[in-house]
Amino acid sequence: MHKVVVRDLEKRYDDVRAAQGVSFEIDDGEIFGLLGPNGSGKTTTLECVIGLRQPDAGHIEVCGMDARQHPKAVKEKIGAVLQTIALQDKITPREALELFASFYKRTAAASALLQRFALTEKADAPFDSLSAGQRQRLAVALAFVNNPELIFLDEPTSGLDPQSRRDLHGEIVQMKRDGHTVLLTTHNIDEAEQLCDRIAIIDGGRIIASGPPRDLIAASTSAQSVLLRTAQPLAIESLAGVPGIDDLIYENSTITFRTRTPAPTLSALMQVVSELDVEVLELHARKAKLEDVFLALTGEESQ
Amino acid sequence: MHAALQQLRISLTLHYRNKMALIYSYLFPLIFLLAFYVLYRYERVVLARHMGELLTVSVLGGACFGLPTTMVSERERGVWRRYRLAPIATSMLVLSVIAARYLILVTAGLLQLAVALAMGMPMPQHPFDLWIVFTFVSFAFIGLGLVMAMMADNVPAVQALGQCIFLPMLIIGGIAVPIATLPDWAQHLSQFFPGRYAVQALQACILGPGLGNTGFELLALVIIGTGGTIAGAKMFRWDAQQRFARRSGKAWVSVALMSWVVVGILAESRGYTPAAARSSEERPAPTTAATAPPPQPSVPAPSSPSASTQERSAIPPVLTLSEAEKKAASGGTTGAPGTSNPRATAPKNKPAAEAAPSEKPSAEKPPANSVTLPHPTPPSWQAVTVADIDRDLVFDRLPSDSGIVTPIARDEEEPDPDTADHLRFIQENLPSWQPGKVADPVQRVRNMLYVAAVPDVQQQPIERFAAQAVFYQLQQDIPKDQLIKVLYWIALHPTDGDDKAVGDLWALRFTSDPVDLEQTRERAAIYGVKLLGRLLGKLPHGGS
Repeated sequence: MHKVVVRDLEKRYDDVRAAQGVSFEIDDGEIFGLLGPNGSGKTTTLECVIGLRQPDAGHIEVCGMDARQHPKAVKEKIGAVLQTIALQDKITPREALELFASFYKRTAAASALLQRFALTEKADAPFDSLSAGQRQRLAVALAFVNNPELIFLDEPTSGLDPQSRRDLHGEIVQMKRDGHTVLLTTHNIDEAEQLCDRIAIIDGGRIIASGPPRDLIAASTSAQSVLLRTAQPLAIESLAGVPGIDDLIYENSTITFRTRTPAPTLSALMQVVSELDVEVLELHARKAKLEDVFLALTGEESQ
Repeated sequence: MHAALQQLRISLTLHYRNKMALIYSYLFPLIFLLAFYVLYRYERVVLARHMGELLTVSVLGGACFGLPTTMVSERERGVWRRYRLAPIATSMLVLSVIAARYLILVTAGLLQLAVALAMGMPMPQHPFDLWIVFTFVSFAFIGLGLVMAMMADNVPAVQALGQCIFLPMLIIGGIAVPIATLPDWAQHLSQFFPGRYAVQALQACILGPGLGNTGFELLALVIIGTGGTIAGAKMFRWDAQQRFARRSGKAWVSVALMSWVVVGILAESRGYTPAAARSSEERPAPTTAATAPPPQPSVPAPSSPSASTQERSAIPPVLTLSEAEKKAASGGTTGAPGTSNPRATAPKNKPAAEAAPSEKPSAEKPPANSVTLPHPTPPSWQAVTVADIDRDLVFDRLPSDSGIVTPIARDEEEPDPDTADHLRFIQENLPSWQPGKVADPVQRVRNMLYVAAVPDVQQQPIERFAAQAVFYQLQQDIPKDQLIKVLYWIALHPTDGDDKAVGDLWALRFTSDPVDLEQTRERAAIYGVKLLGRLLGKLPHGGS
């Protein structure tokens, strides 16, 4: 069963078409990622789905309801963490949770949420005294204040330190275990690859690929990356006879390149090294990652 | 409902945690109050006469700056955007914002009143009415604040927009500058501003007759408040990225503006007169009770030269009544227990022009609007006796000669060079000034007293010296015995006779600026009692 269905979503800001016929579905209980570079239209798409923006055209269905016809009913069933957590400076986590809980029919206890998101000690501290990680945990707690079926997370880990990011990743995984459906936007490819059951790569307001990360990688024609470090520098001319080398980077005694023909290329490379009697210190051959797929599709350096 | 109450609770809690908000909401109104108090030379009664203005300034500041600043800053931060994710209606948020601001304004107003009372200001005559009117005033200005919050894209824009509203409202809106001193066009323009009606209605509850005469003012405030609230709700923006200039629906601003225009047109078409002025014709001016608590209800409530038009209400002359007489008066014609107002018998619902005979000098018999005391009064000024004066007048609670109301220069006091030139001209020409030569001695004295009263009302630098010159000239022109009787008569009949002489003051090189005639008569009566006190030796010659 689809928790979210988006069909032919269109959104324009003056001359910019932020969403151009965006379509996707999210199944019940899955973590779905919208992956794209900055300005690709992923936040616009998410905000149209949760009712923060009015799309120009398209159909949005959330939890079986037309989101444009029944926004209030949809809001009862969803929780969201926006890119920036915005609360008044002097409001405390407890007050914020109680306030937001009053907006919904079905609510979770503030004390339980404070405990779950490790905010009990800061329950009565003003918002402006919380760390970035605590603020983000509060934002997630607020998204859970109505026991939502569906969680929307808009770049939830941006600006967090590694520990906070890891904690939040654990929380997102827990959401899935608890049966929640999650829509996550991110430009962090590792995050998407690590957390999402399925992703849609969005660029220029269009979805250019979608599916499970492994399938996307498998279907990719991206080249493998090779790194070779030797005790003495190799003369660049010596590599002229090695076939299938692309994007060669030569730096002192380290060379990196891509190849779509790893077996013959590595075989020829080892032969050259042997003939020159150069000691090999390090040799890596890495198959394509989601990043490679993403870069190949978007043609950009996003990370 | 639960959500609205929770939102209200949080809004108030956060307001009281914000030091700057507390300063703006509570400290500034108190600073205004103290500043006015000092400016009015610690005159408690004058403070009461300006409390309507002070409360209006507090509401205006809270609504035009406090409310939109809070709303716009929360919108800029994205707080409202976060609210929008919840299943709440715009109206719920708007209502809770209005309710929170109203409670803040009420508490600020109460604090301001409490401090004023602690400083000795008389208790407002109609506290419950005052609360009702305050609610109407708050509604009108909160509506205005909502519109501003929707128009301003950021906090600096609120400040700019607030100044555009605040300053005109203070200057020509009837809040800080007396409307009577404004040019004619500005007086008409002020009728389109809510500030004028706010001050009038509040003042009517502080020193006036209460809600009874404030029907038009309340209607005006409701129209303006409704226009603003509807426009504000229709233009509501959740998101700072929704810029006002690029939004559809900004035409709703015209609804707010139209409400002002409608009020102005209504006022113009009905020949609007302020509530206090209307009330002075319809019932005894209640200032006596406020200014001189029983058993001595006799100090004339001085109206400062900078007072607004609500001060057009008549100030009673200096009278004293025994307790028995007061009871008789309160049970009889005055209608206001404990007061001794000479206007007690003024016909109800009578226009000001009718109530003050214009052509007929009072001489032989008391006119219809003269004082009715519960004991026999002299039938004419010639019949006045010292016993009448001792019984009916007191001299120990007059405004100070060094105050701002009816000041009189001390003998040794020297005017500045410009004032000295003008004073010299007056001294040279007063003896031949035609209104000072009319046959009726009462009108003659009245006319001369206007020479002192008009610059006092207009707060001209010469005011204190003009009074001195008038006193001197009156004593030169009129025998002391006769002058004593005439001054008593004027004290008891401040609204008799005509005031055409005010229009002849140009001959003494006074400005031809408009002046509130009723206020002028009040001041003339007070000057009359001051001179009478000097003639009788009840007041020191060089000042009180």
